[in-house]
Amino acid sequence: MFRVGIDTGGTFTDFVLYKDGEIHIRKIPSSPKNPADAVLKGLKIWENVSGERQVIHGSTVATNTLLERKGAKTALITTKGFEDILEIGRQNRAQLYNLFVDKVVPLVQKRYRFGVEERTIGTGEILKQADPASFADIIQNIQQEGIESIAICLLFSYANPKNECIIYKSFAKTGISVSVSHRILPEYREYERCSTTVVNAYISPIMERYISHLEANIGSGDLCIMQSNGGFISAKKAKEKPIRTVLSGPAAGVVGAFEVAKAAGYDKIVTLDMGGTSTDVSLCYENLMITTESSIDCIPINIPMINIHTVGAGGGSIAFVDEGGSLRVGPRSAGADPGPVCYGRGVDLTVTDANLYLGRLLPDYFLGGDMVLDSIRVEKLMGEFGSHLNLSPHRTAEGIIDVVNAAMERAIRVVSIEKGYDTREFALVSFGGGGGLHACELAKSLSIPQVLIPKNPGLLSAFGMLICDVVKDYSQSVLIRDEGIQFEEIEEMFAPLIDQGVEEMSAEHIPLERLSIERSLDMRYVGQSYEIFIPFKEDYIDRFNKLHKKAYGYSDVERPCEIVNLRVRIVGNLSKPKLKEERLKGENSASASLGQRIITYKGESIPFELFIRKKLSAGNRVEGPAIILEYSSTVLVPPGFSCNVDRFGNLVMKRD
Amino acid sequence: MFDPIKLEIFKNIFSSIAEEMGMALCRSAYSPNIKERRDYSCALFDAKGQMVAQAAHLPIHMGSMPYSVKSAIKAIRMDKGDTIILNDPFKGGTHLPDLTMISPVYIGRTLRFYVANRAHHADIGGMSPGSLPLSREIFQEGVRIPPLKLARKGSIQKDLLELILANVRTPEEREGDLMAQFAANRLGERRLMEVACKYSYDEVISYMKALQDYAGRMTEKAIEDIPDGIYSFEDFLDNDGLSDTPVRIHVTVHIKGRRAKIDFSKSSPQIKGCMNATLAITLSAVYYVFRCLSPLDTPSNEGCMQPLEVIAPLGTVVNAQFPAAVAGGNIEVSQRIVDVLLGSLSRAVSHRIPAASSGSMNNITIGGWNSKESKMFTYYETIAGGSGASCDRDGVDAVHTHMTNTMNTPIEALENAYPLRVLRYEIRKGSGGKGLQKGGCGIRRDIQLLTDCEVTVLSDRRKFPPYGLQGGSPGKVGENILISKKETRDLGGKFTVLAKKGDVISIRTPGGGGFGKRSKDNEYARKI
Repeated sequence: MFRVGIDTGGTFTDFVLYKDGEIHIRKIPSSPKNPADAVLKGLKIWENVSGERQVIHGSTVATNTLLERKGAKTALITTKGFEDILEIGRQNRAQLYNLFVDKVVPLVQKRYRFGVEERTIGTGEILKQADPASFADIIQNIQQEGIESIAICLLFSYANPKNECIIYKSFAKTGISVSVSHRILPEYREYERCSTTVVNAYISPIMERYISHLEANIGSGDLCIMQSNGGFISAKKAKEKPIRTVLSGPAAGVVGAFEVAKAAGYDKIVTLDMGGTSTDVSLCYENLMITTESSIDCIPINIPMINIHTVGAGGGSIAFVDEGGSLRVGPRSAGADPGPVCYGRGVDLTVTDANLYLGRLLPDYFLGGDMVLDSIRVEKLMGEFGSHLNLSPHRTAEGIIDVVNAAMERAIRVVSIEKGYDTREFALVSFGGGGGLHACELAKSLSIPQVLIPKNPGLLSAFGMLICDVVKDYSQSVLIRDEGIQFEEIEEMFAPLIDQGVEEMSAEHIPLERLSIERSLDMRYVGQSYEIFIPFKEDYIDRFNKLHKKAYGYSDVERPCEIVNLRVRIVGNLSKPKLKEERLKGENSASASLGQRIITYKGESIPFELFIRKKLSAGNRVEGPAIILEYSSTVLVPPGFSCNVDRFGNLVMKRD
Repeated sequence: MFDPIKLEIFKNIFSSIAEEMGMALCRSAYSPNIKERRDYSCALFDAKGQMVAQAAHLPIHMGSMPYSVKSAIKAIRMDKGDTIILNDPFKGGTHLPDLTMISPVYIGRTLRFYVANRAHHADIGGMSPGSLPLSREIFQEGVRIPPLKLARKGSIQKDLLELILANVRTPEEREGDLMAQFAANRLGERRLMEVACKYSYDEVISYMKALQDYAGRMTEKAIEDIPDGIYSFEDFLDNDGLSDTPVRIHVTVHIKGRRAKIDFSKSSPQIKGCMNATLAITLSAVYYVFRCLSPLDTPSNEGCMQPLEVIAPLGTVVNAQFPAAVAGGNIEVSQRIVDVLLGSLSRAVSHRIPAASSGSMNNITIGGWNSKESKMFTYYETIAGGSGASCDRDGVDAVHTHMTNTMNTPIEALENAYPLRVLRYEIRKGSGGKGLQKGGCGIRRDIQLLTDCEVTVLSDRRKFPPYGLQGGSPGKVGENILISKKETRDLGGKFTVLAKKGDVISIRTPGGGGFGKRSKDNEYARKI
């Protein structure tokens, strides 16, 4: 038995294979027109590896379908009188000070939103039962219009799904794909539930085709799909709830980073994935952190996802001077085309150009020397740009770095300090191409004591897919007050969710003894609107009060609290690859050194020692100021930092 | 001389502190107004009370927050750990339900900064539930709180708190909201102290000043882009809530180089009903409009206001004096002030100004006895309308515009919390103004009462519709209809009514104005 993790990215599709204690890696160019081509092509390379194969794939198909609005022609069936909820949304606008108001265009146009006479209320009582005779003409209409997918979302269906079930039965007969809100997200707040259900319907037929195509061509073995909650599910389940696969690539990156960090001895980490146009940060505190309030492109999607915060600042972010005279960086990016100035065609200076100008990127070693960077072009433009600011070119380049660092620092603050976490307990784990040049400085300004850069930082998402578990999340809104309710009564309410989960796991041949079941509650004080996520243990009320204080600065044990949602996460623990450990050698790293180079750092010219990462061995030590080079990334060890190579081949940097 | 790099970094720091305060307040508050609708603002100030950063929450608070802080500074000496509370519209407030808290930030023994937040509470007493009544004088609108110390040396003054809570309809909720506000200020205080610790105090101060200058330059640049000239416009509020007499808002904008003088002298004298604005409201509306004409990411601070001179004579509807009723000032009058300002500027830069948006926040308050919980309840909501069309695009349906951006209460939250049932929530078809570009449509929200209730609606644009521009038609006026067993009645724009269990109140909000005439020889038709 062996496993393959496959991560489809914008430029490359990454493959990681684990067999008999060995990890093998491959990168091949992506095939954006049909991402499956690259996946199948890559798998061919390992065709002759013997044994049963399991493939775990993180696809961008769901996300891109949504971003590019290339989903199915979708209809929405809802309670009569509420057909416009999807369009009204929360009635607010995105930009406060913009006279030209913009609001998201709904995924289902008005003419395909149909109301049905029916009504359920908050207690679950049905005031009016749905009558199939009353919506026969809607079915006809839908068939004539060539609708490809149907979403059903009725008011209060989380409290009683009966009417949704009646409607589902009738519409399922058409053979058209149907997504029902009480199955996708049985939680209260009609707009968010409706939006989530509609997204599922909108991407369903496309994901169905994509996954079926892979299944048909992949040959023997299991195909599994990565989810945004940090686990994977079978291809069959992914076709039913494709919404769970949105943003799965970044989620797998966090899973990979956390696994590597835990092995290295850090279970409280902040991840930093600096890409070309944006940077993703996420915090793990002994566990992956899950949110249920995400959105893509202003469309709410309230399924459990790894909590990732994104800022529009990356290596390709463009620097400019605004009308008030301030130096700004991003969110506009030079992208891959024309790319930064140093790639030869771009005319707008980027963060990458500033790093090159300061000597932190070495023109001859970029992508292992496969791509030569144009320093002369950068020097000329940096001089011109600096003269607008009345600054030397050096100060300008350092300024671009300072400003982009400030944006990333702010992103990390949002997930850590602003949530009540003390950064001094954490390690910063940087992966992806660009982070290595910025990580130590960020750690310093946020008082994070150590920085970890994993081995093969560019393949961490694919690696994450390889090591994650089968994970299924279930939830149910209950909205009950904690007045005299017994712990055992709540336990009983969890039972149906757990039964459902265990059954679905066994349908995927995962034995009971491998399951771990986590129960949690979304709680708040009666009268509030936002919930805090609390593990369900006997002291859950105490925990709630403590966490409320931590998050918002006050708590009140006298106030009654309320359980809004029950959540169950079932994890099917599978055997995982073990990270290979190396024997520690001595600290002496001289054999990996390439000599010295003068680099301007904070206005001073200082000699930095250059190292080749591949030549560094476990146990080696590098004293800053130094630069460590590898194929797809460069790591800056600033003065005052030192770097140790640990037994897994990670670089661990600390302040002296 | 400032460093363009540090300027950007400090801009980030200050605005993220204000944002963080807002997030904490919103997520731990109790009033639907705060937690669901986000009717609150948080801001930082320097030692003189000049605003340094305000999170992008609500425009209506932008000009009025600095006013509160300055009033508080003038009224009381603040020691370390103190927090001032106020809502008096004539001493830095807006209308009574908006409670403002101001805390000094001491670095060592010296007062260096202030942090403040303001939140719209669901009730602050007075003659009707929700405290947005059809009043004749301020005393009917609720508890009036001049700047007072709610906390001394870090601890809440129970006697003052009890006095406030004794005068409101939903005291438990009020107390929770006040705690959330208090905690938000403590958070802001802590963050500012961290910043002052990391950088030198002098540096922090100099960049606070530099950021104000920076915002000033951005605003000056925006004014410079408007041709010099004198531009006038007038529009009306339907009435004052007591009589049928329209209320005139008139403005003359003088643009000269990088300065703008905004003169409201020809507006109506202050009126008997509650549709009066205090000066703080008028200033907020003016700043909002110029802020919209500046680049999108201009920081909101005192500097934005420097190039603007506002003339609003005391005793007029745009600068009412004690003891005028002002409940409708920031929720309705402010929208009309924006309408006349935009109308006047459309005469200078027609392609940059949209037609009038719905022009009313359509405030509805329902109060009564919740027998399930054996206590009073107050439900307050504003309902969006259509936005105005502009030269290159249609208006948007069902969206809040200009001075407000509050969210709706989810139906599944509303029905769980109150004895009310929503029967219909939809876009009001055909309410947008016609034109080359169409105005956005308003909303229809029908709510059935499951118990006897007192219903108050403060809305406008029920008589005078939102104007179209360049030949576009006006949006449709709004309607407020009571449907009971016996009859269906149009209740007009502003009313309080005792309604029976089973009655339905149907609010239909105005659409936005259209832009451009549908004809071939139209200037705008040619451009597109």
